[in-house]
Amino acid sequence: MHFERQKLMAVTEYIPPKPAISPQCLAPPSKPVQEETGLIRLIRREIAAVFQNNRMIAICQNIPMSSEDKLLMRHRLRKHNILVKAFPNQFLKPFLEGSKYRNLLPLFVGHNLLLVSGEPKVREMVRVLKSVPLLPLLGGCIDDTILSRQGFINYSKLPSLDLVQGELVGGLTLLTAQTHALLQRQPLHLTALLDQYVRQQRQGHSAEPAPGQPDPPDSAPDSQPACP
Amino acid sequence: MAAAAVARLGLRAVKEVRVQFCPFENNVESTRTFLQAVSRDKVRATNLKCSVTVDVRHDGSEPRVDVLFGDGHRLVMRGAHLTAQEMLMAFASHIRARSAAGSGDTPGADGGR
Repeated sequence: MHFERQKLMAVTEYIPPKPAISPQCLAPPSKPVQEETGLIRLIRREIAAVFQNNRMIAICQNIPMSSEDKLLMRHRLRKHNILVKAFPNQFLKPFLEGSKYRNLLPLFVGHNLLLVSGEPKVREMVRVLKSVPLLPLLGGCIDDTILSRQGFINYSKLPSLDLVQGELVGGLTLLTAQTHALLQRQPLHLTALLDQYVRQQRQGHSAEPAPGQPDPPDSAPDSQPACP
Repeated sequence: MAAAAVARLGLRAVKEVRVQFCPFENNVESTRTFLQAVSRDKVRATNLKCSVTVDVRHDGSEPRVDVLFGDGHRLVMRGAHLTAQEMLMAFASHIRARSAAGSGDTPGADGGR
């Protein structure tokens, strides 16, 4: 540009007025609150339903394995009626804080999968997860009891409920049966001894050639029938 | 991006990766992120012989990552106070060092014969 024009442009440059308080010191204007979309409400309802309806909830880390492997695993679990669910942590965490599963909160960090089922089929689930060499089972909740991975493995090794009930009943009746036997032992012993004695007496009487009437069995032990 | 660096380098120099943590503790997030990055399909496909094992415990122990390289070197990272980025960067630099050492050895051995 020509020198004079340059000088003129420099002199007539626009300098905006500075505000009294710099905008960095003021609080930022509040953003309008976004209202909940239908999808978020649906997700919340689904989370609530899942935690309501299912007895067994297990959490495992969402390892990024190939989709065929994941689909195969899902299929195997579905055969035992175990559903595989994934929810965004952002909605799951507030729900858990409000409900009684507060102690499961530290598990929900990063990518997770929820394995939920109506019946606690732990043995099959552990077997399916063992087929994946990375076994990311972190923990979970069965019937309102929070279990760690070791707890799940122990649970799967327990015998069935009927067996355990039978064992318990057997153990309890054993004690009462022992007491009963102890109490009954003395009279039984006495009765056995008396029976033995009566039998001996009868044998003694039948061996002797006594013409007289045989003594009644409850006579005194040392009374002899008189021989005429 | 450190995860991408690890994916680019591959796990060829690595023999075994063992990740151990206790999920009910509060300091496991970085270890879990590290596990997520290392156990991706593409990363594992670079070396199918490398085994990635996960040890989930409940005894309050600190999270740690134990890496065994093919030439016998060992890298132990205690993830309680490390971020995932730091762990991945350290892992990537060790892999680079090991593979450089490995490739530096073999031409020397051939030339020496």
